[in-house]
Amino acid sequence: MTSSCPDAAGAAWHAGEDLLASYAERRAGAAASWSVEAHLAGCAPCRAALSAYVDTERLARNRSALLVRAAVGDGGRVRRLLRRCGVPDYVLSLLAVTPSLRASWLLSVVAVVAVVAGEAAAVSYGWIPAVGPVAGHPGPAALAPFLLVAPLLVLAGVAAAFLPVFDPAWRLAAAAPFSGFTLLLVRAVCALAAALVPVTGVAFVLPGPGWLPVALLLPSLALSAFALAAATIMDPRAAAVTTAALWVLPVLWLASADVPLLIVAPQAQFACAAVLGACAVLLYLRHDRFELGWMR
Amino acid sequence: MTPNVSTAAVRTCGLSRRYGAIRALDAVDLTLERGITGLLGPNGAGKTTLLSILATVGEPDAGRVSVFGLDPGDGAERVEIRRRLGYLPQELRYHRHFTVAAFLDYVAILKEITDRRRRAEEVARVLAVTGLQDRARSRIRALSGGMRQRLGIAQALLGAPELLILDEPTAGLDPEQRLRFRELLSDLPGDPAIVLSTHQADDIAAICPQVIVLLRGRVQFAGTPAGLAGTAAGRVWAADERDRRAHLSWRGGDARWRHIGEHSQAGAELVTPTVEDGYLLLSHAAGAR
Repeated sequence: MTSSCPDAAGAAWHAGEDLLASYAERRAGAAASWSVEAHLAGCAPCRAALSAYVDTERLARNRSALLVRAAVGDGGRVRRLLRRCGVPDYVLSLLAVTPSLRASWLLSVVAVVAVVAGEAAAVSYGWIPAVGPVAGHPGPAALAPFLLVAPLLVLAGVAAAFLPVFDPAWRLAAAAPFSGFTLLLVRAVCALAAALVPVTGVAFVLPGPGWLPVALLLPSLALSAFALAAATIMDPRAAAVTTAALWVLPVLWLASADVPLLIVAPQAQFACAAVLGACAVLLYLRHDRFELGWMR
Repeated sequence: MTPNVSTAAVRTCGLSRRYGAIRALDAVDLTLERGITGLLGPNGAGKTTLLSILATVGEPDAGRVSVFGLDPGDGAERVEIRRRLGYLPQELRYHRHFTVAAFLDYVAILKEITDRRRRAEEVARVLAVTGLQDRARSRIRALSGGMRQRLGIAQALLGAPELLILDEPTAGLDPEQRLRFRELLSDLPGDPAIVLSTHQADDIAAICPQVIVLLRGRVQFAGTPAGLAGTAAGRVWAADERDRRAHLSWRGGDARWRHIGEHSQAGAELVTPTVEDGYLLLSHAAGAR
């Protein structure tokens, strides 16, 4: 490596060819690179000489890649925050196509929960007269609509994470090497968490038993796991509808008997835990079904 | 389609698929080499079913498929096939709120390009190849049909696949874009195997050294475009009057009638058949049109 330095008399000097070449090819060490950069800032002939060593194709590629990164964007505050928390960037990109994680979906969930919970609160506190099965019993029975809808909203969020109808480009995912089961789990778990926040949050402020928010967790998890496990042995849409029916029918039956809270009573919690465990085992055993494009 | 174990990219044997009472594929035997193979056939011939099976998205009822010697029925081998595959499905739908760059970034992740820098370089490469670099920031919903089709081709090219399956890639492209598409396929590096499904016989004639005609789920012809055109030799006529006995007749831009059939009328002259003539004659013989 040859380079020249200003002598005491201040005679002109220039970076040598070897040094410019190694700098352009990123072979120069840190100290040499800083030295060259400091010199280039004030030396037009060396800047001109450097251009002969620059790989213009590589520069053009880098420029194009930078433009692509700018066009992809960083995804806003939430995504930046999650990235700082250690969530890999590519996982966040995979989540970006999950409809149940989009603001419009989450706002819809909040709106539905608010309406149902508001109705329950209004009946319980006597702000509006009770009608139908809860007439004259503005107590636990007023919670029936909320008990019916809350786990279904969680289930809908999870179903939207894996039903092809919600992923217009699902064929591309099906033909890609990225694990379909991993994709499913990442999306489903995030959708589950996102839906549980408003549902349990509202349950805290409802005029019902204090354990209600916690009691909603197991049924919601069990329904979601059941839908995923059922999707390994039947059409995914049929799995989602069947799962919803398995919740709606007993809730309506208990509501008609004026005991809707039994659906989240300890015995039901045990049943939900058993279903959750069984579905987890089934998912583990049959998870390769999610790697087959044709099961979707 | 000369069977050759060492170079065959795709091989199928007795491939069959039914949808209820409809037989989409009926014992299809194929051997596809590297290079471009055109797949011709009318709607409902089984082209999309065949391509979806080759792309590991569809499942056959019977028969065997081998892609680069790998079995898509085996989990690990299926993933390996997908790593070497680029797939443009028919009527690809998009996440319309995405920008062009974000959509390609997403598909690149599905193709296991998880490093952000490498992904950006790969997306930039396919944008340049398809001439979409100026549209990187555009929302997909704002693109024209032709541009969306180019975007579909761009995503299929991510990762420089060795097997490119394109289901009607020229649908929606204007004539200039179709020519650019031909140029693009011809310039692809690495000599990938390309299976190109189309209704456009002139696309086949222009860029495909091999052509397969699929009719009613069966392979009716496999060979060169010249061979397909040759099947109509001696059965294509030009005349001033319409011939009602011909299988197909239409009046061309020169105001003369072109007949495809077994009989000639007085004054008719034999003309050199095209790939389209051969295809139409095969379709007629199979009763598929």
